[in-house]
Amino acid sequence: MSAIIEIEDYSWQYLDSSVPALNNISLSIEEGTFVGVIGPNGSGKTTLAYSMDGLIPGQYHGIKNGTVKILGREVEEYPQGELQQQVGVVFSDPESQFTAMTVEDELVFGMENLGMTIPEIRECLEWVLNLTNLGPLLNKPPYEISGGQKQQVALAAVLAMTPKVLILDEPTSMLDPLSRRRVFDVLDRLTREQKNTIIVIEHSLENLIPLADRMILLSDGQIVLDAGTRAFFQHVDLLLEKGISPPGAMRCFYELSRAGIYKGSLPLTVDEAYEKLTKLLVGRKRPANPQREGSQA
Amino acid sequence: MSEGQAFIQVKDLSYCYPDGSQALSNINLDISKGEFIALIGQNGSGKTTLSKCLNGLFKPTSGDVIVDGLNSKDTPIVQMVRRVGYVFQNPDHQLFNSNCWDEIAYGPRNILLPEEEVKVRVEEAALVVGLPELYFTEHPFFLTKGLRQRVAIASILALRPHVIIVDEPTTGQDVRQSFEIMDFLKDLNEKHGHTIMIITHDMPIVAQYTRRVIVMGMGQVIIDDSTSEVFKQADILAQTFLEPPQITQLAQLARRLGFDPGTLSVDEMVQQFKCIAM
Repeated sequence: MSAIIEIEDYSWQYLDSSVPALNNISLSIEEGTFVGVIGPNGSGKTTLAYSMDGLIPGQYHGIKNGTVKILGREVEEYPQGELQQQVGVVFSDPESQFTAMTVEDELVFGMENLGMTIPEIRECLEWVLNLTNLGPLLNKPPYEISGGQKQQVALAAVLAMTPKVLILDEPTSMLDPLSRRRVFDVLDRLTREQKNTIIVIEHSLENLIPLADRMILLSDGQIVLDAGTRAFFQHVDLLLEKGISPPGAMRCFYELSRAGIYKGSLPLTVDEAYEKLTKLLVGRKRPANPQREGSQA
Repeated sequence: MSEGQAFIQVKDLSYCYPDGSQALSNINLDISKGEFIALIGQNGSGKTTLSKCLNGLFKPTSGDVIVDGLNSKDTPIVQMVRRVGYVFQNPDHQLFNSNCWDEIAYGPRNILLPEEEVKVRVEEAALVVGLPELYFTEHPFFLTKGLRQRVAIASILALRPHVIIVDEPTTGQDVRQSFEIMDFLKDLNEKHGHTIMIITHDMPIVAQYTRRVIVMGMGQVIIDDSTSEVFKQADILAQTFLEPPQITQLAQLARRLGFDPGTLSVDEMVQQFKCIAM
């Protein structure tokens, strides 16, 4: 068990800005971990993603302090293009990532750039199509497919390069609930089958929570909370203060515990909440009464 | 709800794209003044196409769309957009002027209003969306997405349409920004009397803000009912790959314990818990 990402006392300030986007953060991520990063817009989430794949400091002007190491090596030390084989980033705006005239060209572009052989590319393409169900779209131009499909193509194009670390910046913001679930299913398979290290920046917590081993809350460029997922969500006061809204089932138990009705850890999923609800109500002296007196507001 | 006839009447509406693909088939709807509606469904289910039929951008292949007594088939689009405004999903697909003032003034100028009237409209719309004067000369692309969305809405409001359709108002916004935009739409609905329709995938937002939900799938209306009645029909929603918000799912699982399967908010859930436990 070694840390694949080590960030120490790291700060980054964009040249045209008067405040640092990230301010003295330290973070170490073990290989194979699934990390969820949350925080309000403008808190530094995307800057953190760019810092881990070398876009910062490579493509941006600014002031850097501290170190960012990937696989034990500082990001600046990697020759051009080599770091991107280890770390793949899927951007929140898929259109900003597209370059090709067909989905197929888009998917193989990265692999060609890496100098993979044609049989290797074929095999990888097949694997990624199998994972993402994009087969029927191969001949379409990327600008003619739906927003949700665009996000899936962007994800698949990065997956095809089989990076060790996969960073997704709001991968499902434009997706309908089904496609959103599909993306998370793909991520789930990747962690289980490929042991990838996955970092997901997301506003929608319901799909993220069941997969995340660990959660990080960023606010104003600093890490405000960093803990295992269950321990993380025992700090709902702090989350609400930072404008994060926990899923409904968890919020329900948070309200019950504030009212002194419930004690214990907050449920992470609907099923867990239902289990806890049953215990609370069925364990009582007077059995639950299905008839309710009207519906109280 | 309605005063006599519905403001929008959709009768047996079908729409085919020029390439022959059928986007809408046989839609019937009435929309009355003052409603706050969510239009939900998978990508490709016809939500945006329906919206564009409502504001006259698309004319029905068959059937009728009647807005404020005007049939979209024989009404120029200039008249339609003054009644039904459509705000694009991505404000960047809509904004193209080099400053916010011109952006908001574009619609009124386009329908050939005199310049004094244009000024009145722009100032009014900016005030309603809360766009400070200092942004009037700013290039829209230097604003945050939340502000760009407000400019996009203001440019529609300047035409003073009664109905405002907003495509994915909360996409890419964090929770606080989402509530801000939705509270703003709620004000337009409650204080200014606008009829609002949002297109969204965010079920908690639907539960919290809208009173009626229209579910689309494969170009058809699958359910059209009050928000809590729609979310009660979890099995039909599942067929279109939608699911109720998490708190409603919990209430439905716990139905046996006495919870209302139409529960829409955490507060309602906690209230019910107290009643059941007492």
